[in-house]
Amino acid sequence: MNVHTLLLPRFQKMAEKAFETPPRSSSESSPILASPMATPLRKVFNRISGFASSWGRKTAPRGGRIFHGDVEQEEFQYASTQCLSSYYSVFVARLAIMVMLAILIGLLTILTWHFTRIYTTRSLNTLAFGLRYELLQRPILRMWNILNSTSEITTAQVKLSEYVIKRYSKPTTQAEQVEQLYQMMKDVTWALFASRKALNAITINYKNGFVQAFHRDHRSNNTFYIYSDLANYSISTSESYNTKQLTSRQGWNDQFFHGNFSAIWYREPLDPVTGEKTGKALPIPPDDLINIAGPSQVPDGVASWHVAVSKYTDSPLLSAALPVRDASNRSIVAVVGVTTALYSVGQLMKELVEVHSGYIYLTSQEGYLLATSTNAPLLKNTTKGPKLMMAVDSEDHVIRMGAQWLQNAYGNKFPPGHVVHVEKANLGGQHYYIDSFFLNLKRLPMVGVIIIPRKYIMGKVDERALKTLVILISASICILVIGCVCILILTNGVSKEMKLRAELISHLDARRRAEASSNYKSQFLANMSHELRTPMAAVIGLLDILICDDCLTNEQYAMVTQIRKCSTALLRLLNNILDLSKVESGKLVLEETEFDLGRELEGLVDMFSVQCINHNVETVLDLSDDIPKLVRGDSARVVQVFANLISNSIKFTTSGHIILRGWCENSNVSSDSGKFSPDRKKSLSALRTKLKQHGNHMKKASKRDNKMILWFEVDDTGCGIDASKWESVFESFEQADPSTTRTHGGTGLGLCIVKTLVHKMGGEIKVVKKNGPGTLMRLFLLLSTPADGTEQHGQVDFAKHSVAVILALNGSMGRLIMSQWLSRNGVPTLEASEWNELTQILHELFHARTRNCGFDSHYSLNETLRSKVHSIQDMRNPVYIIVVDLGLLDLSTDIWKEQLNFLDKFSGQVKFAWMLNHDTSNAIKMELRRKGHILMVNKPLYKAKMLHILEAVIKERYVELQKRSTNGTKGTAKAGDSHECLEIDSSHFETCSSDDSDNSESGGTNSVSSVHTGDETREGTVKSSPSNCQTLKNCLVEFTHLGPEVNDLRAEEDQCNARPKLHDTEDAKSESSNSPEQHSVSSSTKDRDDSYTSKAANGQKSLEGLRILLAEDTPVLQRVATIMLEKMGATVIAVGDGLQAVDALNCMLNGEEYRRDSSLQERRNRLQTEISDSPPYDLILMDCQMPKMDGYEATKAIRKSEAGTGWHIPIVALTAHAMSSDEAKCLEVGMDAYLTKPIDYKLMVSTILSLTKRSA
Amino acid sequence: MEVGQMQGRLVDYTKSLFMEGFLDGQFLQLQQLQDESNPDFVVEVVSLFFDDSEKLLNDLTMALDQKNVDFKKVDAHVHQLKGSSSSIGAQRVKNACIAFRNFCEEQNIEACLGCLQQVKQEYYLVKNKLETLFRLERQIVAAGGSIPLMEMGF
Repeated sequence: MNVHTLLLPRFQKMAEKAFETPPRSSSESSPILASPMATPLRKVFNRISGFASSWGRKTAPRGGRIFHGDVEQEEFQYASTQCLSSYYSVFVARLAIMVMLAILIGLLTILTWHFTRIYTTRSLNTLAFGLRYELLQRPILRMWNILNSTSEITTAQVKLSEYVIKRYSKPTTQAEQVEQLYQMMKDVTWALFASRKALNAITINYKNGFVQAFHRDHRSNNTFYIYSDLANYSISTSESYNTKQLTSRQGWNDQFFHGNFSAIWYREPLDPVTGEKTGKALPIPPDDLINIAGPSQVPDGVASWHVAVSKYTDSPLLSAALPVRDASNRSIVAVVGVTTALYSVGQLMKELVEVHSGYIYLTSQEGYLLATSTNAPLLKNTTKGPKLMMAVDSEDHVIRMGAQWLQNAYGNKFPPGHVVHVEKANLGGQHYYIDSFFLNLKRLPMVGVIIIPRKYIMGKVDERALKTLVILISASICILVIGCVCILILTNGVSKEMKLRAELISHLDARRRAEASSNYKSQFLANMSHELRTPMAAVIGLLDILICDDCLTNEQYAMVTQIRKCSTALLRLLNNILDLSKVESGKLVLEETEFDLGRELEGLVDMFSVQCINHNVETVLDLSDDIPKLVRGDSARVVQVFANLISNSIKFTTSGHIILRGWCENSNVSSDSGKFSPDRKKSLSALRTKLKQHGNHMKKASKRDNKMILWFEVDDTGCGIDASKWESVFESFEQADPSTTRTHGGTGLGLCIVKTLVHKMGGEIKVVKKNGPGTLMRLFLLLSTPADGTEQHGQVDFAKHSVAVILALNGSMGRLIMSQWLSRNGVPTLEASEWNELTQILHELFHARTRNCGFDSHYSLNETLRSKVHSIQDMRNPVYIIVVDLGLLDLSTDIWKEQLNFLDKFSGQVKFAWMLNHDTSNAIKMELRRKGHILMVNKPLYKAKMLHILEAVIKERYVELQKRSTNGTKGTAKAGDSHECLEIDSSHFETCSSDDSDNSESGGTNSVSSVHTGDETREGTVKSSPSNCQTLKNCLVEFTHLGPEVNDLRAEEDQCNARPKLHDTEDAKSESSNSPEQHSVSSSTKDRDDSYTSKAANGQKSLEGLRILLAEDTPVLQRVATIMLEKMGATVIAVGDGLQAVDALNCMLNGEEYRRDSSLQERRNRLQTEISDSPPYDLILMDCQMPKMDGYEATKAIRKSEAGTGWHIPIVALTAHAMSSDEAKCLEVGMDAYLTKPIDYKLMVSTILSLTKRSA
Repeated sequence: MEVGQMQGRLVDYTKSLFMEGFLDGQFLQLQQLQDESNPDFVVEVVSLFFDDSEKLLNDLTMALDQKNVDFKKVDAHVHQLKGSSSSIGAQRVKNACIAFRNFCEEQNIEACLGCLQQVKQEYYLVKNKLETLFRLERQIVAAGGSIPLMEMGF
C-alpha cells in the first residue's frame, strides 16, 4: 500500500510528462484536448490516473485533489503545492510509524516463539537423554549379566573338573578309573548344564582328545550329549603328555587337532529335564554341531572370550574357554568351554523397543552386530557357513544407515570412550537421535548404539512449534495490518485536523491583515487629513489677509470672498474626515477642562439663529436651571456635537422651530412639565441599567469629581426621519433619504461623528418618536462637574424686585419657553405675538395713565390675559419690562417710527428691551438709541440674556433711586454705555463660540463677521459718546485703570509699564465723576467681570482689574508674561527674583497700613476699606528657578508672612519642569496651581480665573 | 521695492522660519500680543532674549571651562536659556537645550561641550533669521506699509 502511494504520484507525473499535458491537467480537462491521436492513449491514462487518484485519496486527499482539480483549481494551486510537501512529510511520518510497528511486532513474535520453543526443547532433550541412556543401559546390563553368568559357570565347571580329575588321576586304577572319570565328569557337567537354562553348550576337551559336550538346541528345544569315540584314546598317553607338554607346546597342540580330526563323534539326545538317554547315539562329524573349545583357545592358560556363530542358532553365541589344570597345577589337562546365546539380549532389546520406539543394537568393537532390537538376521550365510554381520551391512535399513552415519561422522576415530550423542541425525529423510555407549569389557569390548526417531520424542513439539510459529506469524501480520490501518486512519484524522487548523490560521492571518490594513487606512486618513488641513489653514489665513487688504476692487473682493467660502467648506469637510478617522483610529483623546456649558450652548444658538432667520426658523434654547454652570469635559467636542445636530436640523427644517433642550438627570422628573415624562422615564431606566454596568469603573471617578448625566434634546419641525432609518442615520456616509443630498447637500458624516463623540463621552444618542412633524434626537452625556463648581450661580430673586415682563416676540416657541421660565422664577409675564396684542396689553396696563391714548376702541383682551394683567397691576410699584421684537414693528414702511413714538409714551413707566436681528439696519438702531431705548440684545432670547436684561433694569432702577435728583441724565448715559456693552457682549459670544466650532459657514467666516459687528458697535459707541475710534474694550480697560487704587498702586511701585493712553473725554468723565457714579461704573464692570470669569478663555479682557505680581528672572519671559496679562486687562507688577517678590509684598502691606493710618484721601474711604480687606495682589505668578531666592523659598516666605492676616494670595508656579513630581513639590510648598513654560495663553487665563474667583 | 512685494516676502520668510522649525507657535502668540499700545513688543522681547542669551552663553562657556565643572550651575543656566528660548518660540534652541540638560544630568562634559557648540550655533542662526525678519519689517514700515500678521495655526 505504501509502495503504491509512493509510486503512483510519481508514475502519474511521469505519465503527465509523457503525454505533454499542461501541469495538473485533470481527467476532467482531458476532453478539451481533442487531438485524435492522443485519444486512446489518453483514455488509458485517464483510467490509470483515476485509479491512482482513488488510491491516492485514501492516503492523501490533498494529493488526490491536485489531480481532481476543478474550476477553483487555480485558487488552490498555491495551497496545493504547499500541501504536496506537507503530504510527503505526513507520508514519511506514517511510514516511519508503520515500520516501527512492524519491527516491534516482529520482535515480539520472534521472542515469544523462541522462548516457548527453546525451553520446551531443552527440557525435552534432558528427558530424552535420560531415556536414551536408560534404554541403552538395560541391554548392556543384561549383556553384562550374561557374561558374568557364563564366566561363573565356566569357573565352576573348571573347579569341578579339576576336582574330579584329581580324584581319578591315580595310575593304579587306569582303565576303570578313566571310565569312571568320564562318567563322573558327564554327571557333574550335566548338573551344571541343567542348572543353567540359558547355556547353549558346555564342552570339555581332554588332553587326550576326548570330548564331552552337552548342547541345547533352543529352536527345537532338544538337548544332546555329544562325545567322541573312546577307542582311540588310552590313559597311557597321559605320561607322554606330561613330557611333551614340558618339551614342546606346539607338539601338544598338533596332537589335539590331529586327534580331533581323526576321532568319531557321537550325538545322543537326552531328556532335557532328567538327562536320561532318549535316543540312540548317532555319529556326527566333528565340529559339525558346535564349537568345542580346544586348547588352542587358551594358549596362555587364561580365560578367553569370543563371539561365535553356530549352524543351528541364528544368533551369535558368546563362548568362554578356561583351562583345567592338574593337581600340581602345572599342566593343563582339559579345556572347558561354555557357550551362551546372546539371544536373550536381543529379546530384551525388542521388548524395550516395543515400549519405546527406536532401534538398539550392540556391536563388537570391530563393528560386528551382536544383538539388535529388530528381527533382522544377525548372521549372514556365506559359503563357509554363517558369519557375523557388520552393523553397516545390517538388513535393517535404519540400523544400517545409523551405522553408516556414525562411520561417516567419526570413521574409526571414535571420541574417547566411544560416547556419542547426536540429536539430529538425518537418516533417510528422517531425524533421529543417535547415542552410543562403549562397554569396555576386558576381552570383549562392545559398543551399544540406540537410534530413536526424533519424531518420537520431539515429534509433537516440532509440530506444535511449527504450528505456533505459523499462528504467531499470521497473528503478527494481522496485527501489523490492523495497526497500519489504524495509524493511517489516525494520521488521516490528525492531518485533516492539521489541515483545518492551518486553514483556520491562514484565515485568522488574513483577517488580522485585513484589520491591520483597515487600521492603516484610518491612520493614513488621519495623517493625511492633517496634512491636508495645514495647507488649507494657510490658504484661509492668506485669504483673510487678502480680504483685509484695501486695494482690492469690488470684483476681486467678491471673488476672494467666494474663494474664502469655498475653502472654508472644504476645510469643514476635511475636519469632519479628520474627526471621524481620528475617532476610528483611536487617536481622539478628550480633554478634561472646565467650561461653561450654558455659555457654549448660548453661543451656539446665537450663531445658528443668524442662519435660521433667513430660513424662517426659530432657534430656541431651553436649558433647565439645574444644569451646572461649570462642567468638566471637552468643550470643543461638546459644542461640536450640538453644532452638528443643530446644523443637521436646520438643513432639513424649512419652517417652524428648532429647540435645544437640556436638563439634568437628577431632577428632571420633578422639574419638567411632564409632557415627556413617560418617555423619559423609560429611557432613564434603560440608562440606569447601563450605568450600573460600567458603574464600577465610574465609581472612583464619580467619587472624585461628581459625574452627572445631562440630557439634551434637539427638536425640529423638519421633514423628519423614517422610523426604519433611526438606527442607520448614525452610520457613516448614511443619509436618511439619499435624494436629499441634492437639495440639502452634506456628506453624511455629521451624525456619525456625533454618535462616536457622544459614545466617547459615555453617552448615547438616538432618535425618539415625537408627536407632530420633525425629528427629535435625544442624547445624554456623562460630564463631571468640578467639586467647587456645584454652587448655584447667584439667582436673583426677581419676585422681590416686583418686576413684570411683557414678551412681545414673534417666535411662539421661544416666547412660550421664556414665559414659562420667568413664571417659574416668580416673574409675572404677559405675552404678545404681534403689534396689536402689544398695544392692547399696554392699554390694559396703563389705561389709567394713558387715557388720552387713541387705542381705547381696540379694547378686546381675552379673559385669561386680563386676569394676568390685573394680577400684575396688583403688584406694588412694579417695574415693567417690555421685550420687544424688532420684527413686530413694520419695518417695510415708515410706520415703525410712529409705532416707536407710540411706545415712547410709556417710556416713563416701562423699560424697553429690544430684540434685534443680526441684520437690523444701523438707522433703526440709531433711532432707538436716540429715543433712549438703550437695552438692545440680538436674537434669540434665552435665559442668560433675559437675566442680563432683568439685572440691568433692576440695577438701573436702583441707581436711579439713588441719584434721582442730581445726575439723572448722566446716569442714563452711563447705563447706556453698559447696556451697549451688553449688546456687544452677546455679539461677542457669537464670534467666540464660533471660533471654537467652525461648523457652519457663518462660523467659518467668523473673522469677517466679527469685523463687521465690531464696526457696528464702533459706530454705536461713536454715537453715544463722541470719542474717536477707541474700542469699547479699551474703554473697559480705562475704567479699571481709572480705579484710584490702581493708580495708587502704580504710583507706589513706580512701575514703568506703558500706561495706555486714556481718551480725553473718558479722562474728563472720570475726573468729573463723583463717587456714586464711580460706583455705578464699577458695579457695572463688576457685572461684566462676573460674566467674563465664567466665560474663561473666551474673554479677551477676562483678567480685568486683577493685580498680579510676576516673579520671573528671565527678562524675555517676564516681558512676554507681562504683556500677555496686560492684554487681558490685568495690572502686572514684575519683579526679578523671589526676594524682590517677598519684599514687594511686604512693602505693599506696610504701605497699605500707612495709607490707612494717614487717611490721605478722605474721598475714598469706602474704597480704602474695601482694599484693606483684600490682599494687595490678587495673584502671584512665581517662577520656580530664580536667583537669590527661588520660587519655592519665596512661596514659603510669603505663606509665612500671611500667617497672621488671614489672607491667602493665590500663587501660581511657573516652571519649565513638566514632571508631575515638580507639580507635587510646588503644591507642597503652598502654591495653588502650576503652569508650564512656555505659557499657554488659555490655560493661564483659566487657571488665574479659577483662583481669583475663588478667593474673591 | 514695492510695499506689497515686501509684505509678500515677509510672509514667505516668516513661513519659511516656521517650516524649518526655527520658530513655533509661541512666536505667533508673541506677535499677537503686539498691538498699538506696545508696537515694538516683539522686537523688544526678542532683543531681550538676545541680551539674556548672550550673557547665558558666556556664563556657560566659562562654567564649562572650569576644571571642576559645577554641573548644577550649568544646568541652571541651560534651564534658563531653555525657558527664555521657548518663550519666544525659538524651537531649535529649545530642543538643543533639552539635549544639553540630559547630558548635564549624566555629567558628561564632552557631550556638554558639544551641546554648547550646538546651542550656540542654533542661537546664532535664529538670531540671524530674526534680525533679517525685523529688518524686513522695518523696511516695510519705512515704506509706509503695514506688517501682515500670520494667523495660521501651524
